Amino acid sequence: MKSKEVSQLKSGSQAGYAIETIGLTKKFSSFTAVDHVDFSVQKGEIYGFLGPNGAGKSTTIRMLCTLLSPTSGTASVDGYDIIKQGNDVRKRIGLVSEKMIMYPRLTALENLMFFGGLYGMERNALRKKSEELLEMVKLTPFKDKLVGGYSSGMRQRVNVIRAVLHDPDILFLDEPTTGLDPQSTRFVRDLVKELKQRGHTIVLTTHIMEEADELSDRVCIIDHGKIMAIDTPQALKDKYKTASLLEVFLGLTGRELRDSANERISMRAPMGRM
Amino acid sequence: MAETITWELALDIARRDLLDLWRSKMLLFFFILFPILLMSMFGYIYPPVPKSNPNTGSIGTAFPNLPVSLVKMDDGQTANLIAAQFIQISGQQGLFTVSETASYQAARNQLVLGTIKGIVIIPQGFSDALAAGQPATVQVTVDETNPTTASVVQSEISAVFNIIGSSISAQNINNMDGGRVNPTFIMQPISVTNIPLVTGVSSSFQFLAPGFMALTVITGSLQGVANAISREKEQGTMDGLLVAPIPHRSIILGKVGAQTVRGLIQGFLILGLSMVLFGVQIYGSPIIMVIVMVLGTASFVGVGIIMTAIAPDQETAQMMTIILQFPMMFISGILFPIDQLPVWMQYIGKALPLYYAADALRKVIILNASLGAIMPDVLILIAYTFLTMTIAIPLFDKAMRR
Repeated sequence: MKSKEVSQLKSGSQAGYAIETIGLTKKFSSFTAVDHVDFSVQKGEIYGFLGPNGAGKSTTIRMLCTLLSPTSGTASVDGYDIIKQGNDVRKRIGLVSEKMIMYPRLTALENLMFFGGLYGMERNALRKKSEELLEMVKLTPFKDKLVGGYSSGMRQRVNVIRAVLHDPDILFLDEPTTGLDPQSTRFVRDLVKELKQRGHTIVLTTHIMEEADELSDRVCIIDHGKIMAIDTPQALKDKYKTASLLEVFLGLTGRELRDSANERISMRAPMGRM
Repeated sequence: MAETITWELALDIARRDLLDLWRSKMLLFFFILFPILLMSMFGYIYPPVPKSNPNTGSIGTAFPNLPVSLVKMDDGQTANLIAAQFIQISGQQGLFTVSETASYQAARNQLVLGTIKGIVIIPQGFSDALAAGQPATVQVTVDETNPTTASVVQSEISAVFNIIGSSISAQNINNMDGGRVNPTFIMQPISVTNIPLVTGVSSSFQFLAPGFMALTVITGSLQGVANAISREKEQGTMDGLLVAPIPHRSIILGKVGAQTVRGLIQGFLILGLSMVLFGVQIYGSPIIMVIVMVLGTASFVGVGIIMTAIAPDQETAQMMTIILQFPMMFISGILFPIDQLPVWMQYIGKALPLYYAADALRKVIILNASLGAIMPDVLILIAYTFLTMTIAIPLFDKAMRR
């Protein structure tokens, strides 16, 4: 990393950004998934991270979570460099990815106890916290049942509280309501608001523009690995003189289908994602 | 009409399945390699055996020039003569390379170490017996930890002494003088008896059980860890581990720990069943057995991790583990002796840790070997663990951040 970038990172953390990226880039052989992206997320806000399939959302989030190494550029999360201070970053983040992070042959409580244990939480405090969170998502009666037998909505509720067990400053929610019924979707959205109230900074990706509009303090629209717009949903709607964020989104990213194919089959990310 | 449609649909489905294989070049490579490897190995395990010819006195063998020791406890003229004949015939027929050893104990130690395959003892009183017109006995001890080689060595030694014996018989018949000689002396002046390597061992399964234990532990560790990692990758829980503030080494160590416990349970289950059902006996220390099995697991975990890191998907990873593990059964001396394999294949067999784990377990269980006696095996397993882990850990780190 260049010394100029280091000083920028320092000033970033002093300015109180939860996340700040500088020229963040990821290439998969000849394909550039994320192309010199610069943005910053304020502490305590819900930051909607929007874009069509293959736009680079998940790649960006995986880099910020230290699950993927950037090709060039860097970022700070809670003031810590994602490349050089990966462990400090990991202590302060929680991730809800599209694939559920939980073991089907463990009960909800066992899953929470296991993942909380990875953060060095004390057993009794961890149990208390797990039970309190299970109560919050109304799963206390099912806490000793194997999660393999849960419905998608129930699993996603466990998945979200798993990510906040260790009280992370920053929470990454990658399409948290995909595939859920309207009741569960409503519940998860309210849960996201509740988590904001509790002081977590939240980065949220979603394809549901109405969800982004409802939850986000600001949204960032990304396409072809580049940032197209960053503002509050209202400011964007005003600027493009439309009543819906969906129209803003389609105006910025176009209406035509995005077809591109990578030579290498990715088994790690679900189909259609880079 | 309905029949035709069924056939056409089945053809379409079959074509798509095959296309899938064709599109994954790495899978295709291992798919083709597997039968080639397997067939060439079986070809060497069951090689054509040269025919024996009783008229010319030639003995065919599939195991040429096996090393054996000759222990001469009788210094009589006849004993020396017959020892010389044994060495000469063994050499001419290409059966054994014979070295003389001073004592039975020294020869037995060599046998346990595996440097020789059999011991021929010409006992005290051998010359006197023959001189007195009585049949004499040659004693043989073979490496019973390897049943196939053992029976070959035993029968070939008997065959050589039959050739020597028949020339003595011919002389005896010439010298016959009116019924004062022992008829057995005339018919079979020299007989061969076996001295067991370990007394009281009757079941040949005794020698196979340790090999099976090692095989179970090692293939389990190879597959178990590879599967555990690729399953977590596919179900998404690996992200949960990687996003936590823990070193990758803890993840690997945890996987190894669980696999070690699984390996030990299976290993001892095999041993327990062999004892109950097949009368296998343990002569050595269970603690040393545990040490060997833990090292066996550790030695191959790295290989499993390397495979999951290289393979693009779970199916290819599985094919890779099978391709390594299946031939390993045949070239690591578990079911078949590796002596008749071509030298290059023996080198591959000896480059894999299974050979050493099986060897060490066999020595501990059957021969009551101490930790010192199996130290070469133990050191090789430790070296293997370090070597594979040194490659596996950075590869795992890199693969997880791809």
